[in-house]
Amino acid sequence: MTPFLRKFRILFSTQFALMTEYRAEIVIWMLSGTLSLIMMLVWMGQAAAAPGGQIRGFSASDFASYFLATWFVGQLLVVWVAWELDFEVRQGTLSPKLLRPLDPMWGHYSGHVAEKIVRFPIMLVLVSLFAWLAGARFSLDWRVYAAVLGLVVLGFTVRFLWEYSLGLLAFWTESSTSFQEVVWLVYAALGGLFAPLAFYPQWVQNIAVWTPFPYMLGLPANLIAGKATLEQAGQGALVLVGWLAVFILVRLMVWRVGLKKYGAVGA
Amino acid sequence: MISPPPDVAVQVRDLRKSYTVHEKDPGLMGSVRSFFNRRSHEVEAVKGVSFDLAPGEVVGFLGPNGAGKTTTLKMLSGLLHPTGGTARVAGFEPRKRETPFLKQITLVMGQKQQLIWDLPALDSFLVNQAIYEIPEAQYQATMREFTEVLGLEGILKKQVRKLSLGERMKCELAAALLHRPRVLFLDEPTIGLDVNMQESVRAFVRDYNQRFEATVILTSHYMADVTALARRILVIDAGQLVFDGDLASLAEQSSGGKRVRLQLRQPISLADLSRYGNDARIDGLSAELSVPRSEVSARAARLLADLDVADLTVEDPPIEAVMAELFGAGREKAAESVTGSVAASVA
Repeated sequence: MTPFLRKFRILFSTQFALMTEYRAEIVIWMLSGTLSLIMMLVWMGQAAAAPGGQIRGFSASDFASYFLATWFVGQLLVVWVAWELDFEVRQGTLSPKLLRPLDPMWGHYSGHVAEKIVRFPIMLVLVSLFAWLAGARFSLDWRVYAAVLGLVVLGFTVRFLWEYSLGLLAFWTESSTSFQEVVWLVYAALGGLFAPLAFYPQWVQNIAVWTPFPYMLGLPANLIAGKATLEQAGQGALVLVGWLAVFILVRLMVWRVGLKKYGAVGA
Repeated sequence: MISPPPDVAVQVRDLRKSYTVHEKDPGLMGSVRSFFNRRSHEVEAVKGVSFDLAPGEVVGFLGPNGAGKTTTLKMLSGLLHPTGGTARVAGFEPRKRETPFLKQITLVMGQKQQLIWDLPALDSFLVNQAIYEIPEAQYQATMREFTEVLGLEGILKKQVRKLSLGERMKCELAAALLHRPRVLFLDEPTIGLDVNMQESVRAFVRDYNQRFEATVILTSHYMADVTALARRILVIDAGQLVFDGDLASLAEQSSGGKRVRLQLRQPISLADLSRYGNDARIDGLSAELSVPRSEVSARAARLLADLDVADLTVEDPPIEAVMAELFGAGREKAAESVTGSVAASVA
């Protein structure tokens, strides 16, 4: 095992231990992220009332499948690192991390991954329950779930890096989290959290395909709901790899420039 | 891998740091004005500080609050980028934060730093072992030593948030020194601790310095920390180095002379005692007074000849009094601190 992997393994196991301490909070946090489920109910109601019981080819059951899948994928894409960095930079608690010969990013990243693993079994139980209640149907092809896993890992890492970069703006601003909230709105809209991307005006769709958002949230959800192909998954993964490269560079640049501005107040 | 110690452990030349500080008047109107016209000004926290430290040297870094001590330590540990001047620590430029540099230094500030709050301290130690790439045998040996010297037995598996302040500080110190750094920056390491705990932290730092020949820069408001550990003192005031020398020389900065303490066999009146010096005090058969530094021998001889003296000692003024004098009575909090004086018995 390389020294880096050894470090990451220890960081991960420590963060996993920490997240199991917070398991009750994680469940409450999951339940608070119910926007997809609310949108599911709204669209199911609209489809039931529509002529033929469908809107643009989506029945109530299709909407249930799509929005439950977005909820599931969205849970795996949850990132809170901007809040942590904002606090650490402004309160000076970043200082002890800077004294160690390892980029503090890895501690945050391992913490997020560990939290996903603690979250996963609870998600499975909840999504099964909601699927049964709402009459959702999911793909049974294992290759679909392998593709979803790949897109989620890429999408999560891309989101983690852009949120990390936003959090680092705390080196310059009083509060970087306001930027994060604006970006979340774009992510939610173009990712398909409010409605499938196909429901948006064409010009919005034309813009969205150049962003990472549809490929990290809407595409995996459509795959699970049986509304996207493995070929589309491959194309989406390529786009995400491109964005990954972009955000690796952006994060590194903001980090290096921002450190010169660090005031190390308090601690 | 640890590189061999350089001839100079810490070299600081004309080190400077300025901050931009924003200002806002209180209240709603102040907020409105600040929204449209944000005022700011430049604060020079460190104004051209220079000094060298030899490997293994322990130095007390003193100064009133806001003098620039912590800012200097943060620049030397690579947390802050200097505005001007240069610093080299263990042969490295701190601001570059290179891995070999970070493996040779540590900075301890307060009691809530490295440890993961909701997990036992042992988990934090394992993280540090991995991050600093400490070989298992060295980790085990260091843990055994630290457990014995700091008395960590029984607290390593408790959640950090359930530890007392003193227990937490001991764990913080252990975490900070687990990788056996060669340069230690200790910023108020005993703050908030009771007297026994302060003593055990001092003993640990002293032991570590002797065993590993580590260079130590220590700031503390407890003069006992400084007098127990440091031979050399750097005093910084308003961002400038105003004193660099040993403790005795620092005491000589005082214009108040030396303090003579007497144990008498016969009582004496305050008026009679006051003929031998200033600021005389009597408590039963114990008495004390201040005498000019240049006349200590003559005054002591007179006291021994004129009075029935069982014991006489001459002491430098307490360091905190010297500091108070150096920084001005209104600015110095050193007088609040407790023990510590350099005593020289002549009896």
